[in-house]
Amino acid sequence: MFRSSRRTAIAVGIAGSLALVGCSGGNTANQGSGDDGEPAVSDTLVIDTAFSLETGDPGRNYVPTGNMVLHAVYDTLLTFEGSDEDEPLPALATMEQNDEATEFTFTLDGERTFSDGTPVDADDVVFSLTRVQGMTDSKANFLMNGITVEKVDDLTVRLVTETPSLQVPAIMTNPALSILNSEAVQANGGTNGADDAAEDFLNGQSVGSGPYLLDSLDLTSQVVLVANPDYDGDTPPAYERIVIRNVSESATQLINLQGGDSQLAVDLNGDQVAGLADEFTVTSVPSAQTIFLLINQDEEVGGATANPEFAEAVRYSVDTSELLELAGAGAVSATGVIPPMFPGSLAEPIAPDLDRAEQALTASGYDGETLRLQFPNDFPVGGVEFTPVAERLQSQLEAAGITVELAPAPFATEIDPYVNGEEAFSMWFWGPDFADSSSFLPFGPGEKVGLRAGWTAEDAPQIAELVTAAATATDTAEREQAMSAYAAAMQEDGPFVPLVVPGVNLAGDGSVANVEYNSTWTLDIRLLAPAN
Amino acid sequence: MTSTTPRRARTRSPLTGYLLRRLGTSVLLLIGVTLVTFTLTTLVPGDPIAAALGEGAASNPATVAAYVERYGLDRSLPERYLIYLGNLTQGDLGTSIQTGRPVLEDLSVAIPASVEVALCAIVLSLAVALALGTLAAHRRGRVSDQVIRVVSLIGLSVPMFWLAIMAYHLFFLRLGIAPGSGRLSPHLNPPPRITGLYTIDFVLNGDPVGFFDAVAHLALPVLVLSLFTIGLLTRFVRTSVLEVLGSDYVRAARAKGLPRRRVIGAYVLRGAALPILTVAGVAFGILLSGTVLVEAVFAWPGLGTYAYNSAIALDLPGVMGVGLVVGVIYLVINFVVDLLYGVLDPRVRLA
Repeated sequence: MFRSSRRTAIAVGIAGSLALVGCSGGNTANQGSGDDGEPAVSDTLVIDTAFSLETGDPGRNYVPTGNMVLHAVYDTLLTFEGSDEDEPLPALATMEQNDEATEFTFTLDGERTFSDGTPVDADDVVFSLTRVQGMTDSKANFLMNGITVEKVDDLTVRLVTETPSLQVPAIMTNPALSILNSEAVQANGGTNGADDAAEDFLNGQSVGSGPYLLDSLDLTSQVVLVANPDYDGDTPPAYERIVIRNVSESATQLINLQGGDSQLAVDLNGDQVAGLADEFTVTSVPSAQTIFLLINQDEEVGGATANPEFAEAVRYSVDTSELLELAGAGAVSATGVIPPMFPGSLAEPIAPDLDRAEQALTASGYDGETLRLQFPNDFPVGGVEFTPVAERLQSQLEAAGITVELAPAPFATEIDPYVNGEEAFSMWFWGPDFADSSSFLPFGPGEKVGLRAGWTAEDAPQIAELVTAAATATDTAEREQAMSAYAAAMQEDGPFVPLVVPGVNLAGDGSVANVEYNSTWTLDIRLLAPAN
Repeated sequence: MTSTTPRRARTRSPLTGYLLRRLGTSVLLLIGVTLVTFTLTTLVPGDPIAAALGEGAASNPATVAAYVERYGLDRSLPERYLIYLGNLTQGDLGTSIQTGRPVLEDLSVAIPASVEVALCAIVLSLAVALALGTLAAHRRGRVSDQVIRVVSLIGLSVPMFWLAIMAYHLFFLRLGIAPGSGRLSPHLNPPPRITGLYTIDFVLNGDPVGFFDAVAHLALPVLVLSLFTIGLLTRFVRTSVLEVLGSDYVRAARAKGLPRRRVIGAYVLRGAALPILTVAGVAFGILLSGTVLVEAVFAWPGLGTYAYNSAIALDLPGVMGVGLVVGVIYLVINFVVDLLYGVLDPRVRLA
């Protein structure tokens, strides 16, 4: 009796639960219904990527997934079109510069509006840029170092630098310097000082002029964008809804793409895209990253190997074409410290030359010492794992008479001695701070990365002069020439051996067109459109 | 002759005393957990600021100074630890270096995701393990016993990451009977947050589409995670039941002619429940905090993923937060298990 009544109670409970679940109410994101009652999702684009996402506030963002998302939501003064990063183009404004490359005048057309209908004006530009300047705890703060912002009139803003700064136009394309609706931000805690408190507000909604609006932001799982119905720019939204999901495992990204759960996968490696069937489209291009060897020139750190001859011996012992086998689709041999997509890069990589390597090794005084090759082993770059690359390097150097012992360590542990110049022989990577050749000048003697190799301006005064010439050039042609001379000199006498530029593989299911890579925002979401 | 009236001693119920003792021990244990976690994390060589900021920002003195001030990295280690403890008493677990958000906020997303999948997995595991373990014990030495033992050994031995990839490939890509990764299909929005458990929140919001979608997304991770715990628990159930089957009171019950089902339910399983409960508690803790790779395969934003990301980023507040939560989880599990001991075994209650 008791048992039967208990069963009855359980049955009633289950029925009640199902009734509650079955009552009216549905998911707000359903994009209408198909004939079979199933939600129609044709208007939704799903992109899988491994998140590096910290905020929805452009001024505080300086990570790749953040750039990807925010580039679709906000406009900058200038931008790059598709994969072409040669020259910044007008976005919200046109630009003129003076002959000294110290004044950059931006003029708005007065026709563009934010998503709430407010016109974009000079006050918005000044506020957005000075806000980043004022937020010292923002990772993007350094972008505005040395730049003064002046309002000229309601549609004109001037940026002034103390020294020639041809990189300013490229800096202005960075999503961190997006133009925000200043009234809306200030009404929600925004200031242009260190006391800015608008991040929570900007994590919840967007106040930009881009083709998409921020619908929801979950830093751990997904970001949802919806079309901006009042967009008045050149690239109208092609999708009603775009979901960018955090799928950290590339194998899962691949299965999701093949199974139709997503339409685009951002982080597949070369092997994975090689196995995709014909109906899938793959955009494989070199990234802006460079994996390189560092040979410390400080005798206290590098010991017997701290000389340019030893660096030369290593340079001519390495066969980068063999390393490419490990890097997969899209990767190319590094031709120098400037990757191939940037003006000033060299055309060809150094070919291995064991005779030259042997001569240089003899001249260096190397006496068979075992070198420890330090590298981060938990931080693949562009799908390239460092450990197999290090193993292949070890065998190549062994063939040239250089004994190498591998010393892998976690990135977070290894970065400290690298940054402090305490590594004698190591393998690292470098990517640009912004899409401009000047991002690779830090390799020079006495510069940031150069000093990590114990390489001072006194060690290589001629190359130091080339760095200065490239940094202070006042027109682009002159600068490109200076960059080329710098890159060539680095390949000849520098303490770095550029190895590989990893590839980027953007894989789609064929339903999406205009899949374009950019070194800053990886995938240009605002260009994406149905293939038909 | 004077008479003295004895002062009545204030009496406290044994249960209240027990609870207070447990609470005091738990607090001390948690402080120990924070101390060990803090010490170990700070012993790891590396600069969390350099790791967090990246090249450009790490070269900017203003940003580095702001970070140093924000995270108190210019203070001595003992001072930082004491400040951490002080903040902890106010419910402040600090700010994560990798996400820039309060750790509590990060954990409030990660914990429900893990709880949802771990609860389902442990319930399924217990149900299956009780059935299989009991059957194996009763058929000791026969083919069915051998098969169950082999299956449970496979469950314990198969690498979970590999199994997750294979299961996802088979059930989603090949057979099409499982949904894609994540907690929900991309065309659906998460439910308004009440508990953080999607299934429960969808029910509370009266959203059947979301509820069934969330259940479908739970199925595969739960099955994969369960395989290990089913293997673990089945072996324990079998061993425990075998021990109880040989005991006098079970023999007596059988001799009285009680039905077999009654003997198993009321005598055998109840007698074997204590060790099974202990292991189930440990297994639940493992499911909650130690499933990084399975979470990665199914894009499940749980505690394991958060712990891993915090560790590789040298995110001290994040690691401390996870350590604290895992400590609390095990303390709660142990406490619940102890209470259930009392329910199941009157001798424990009396003690």
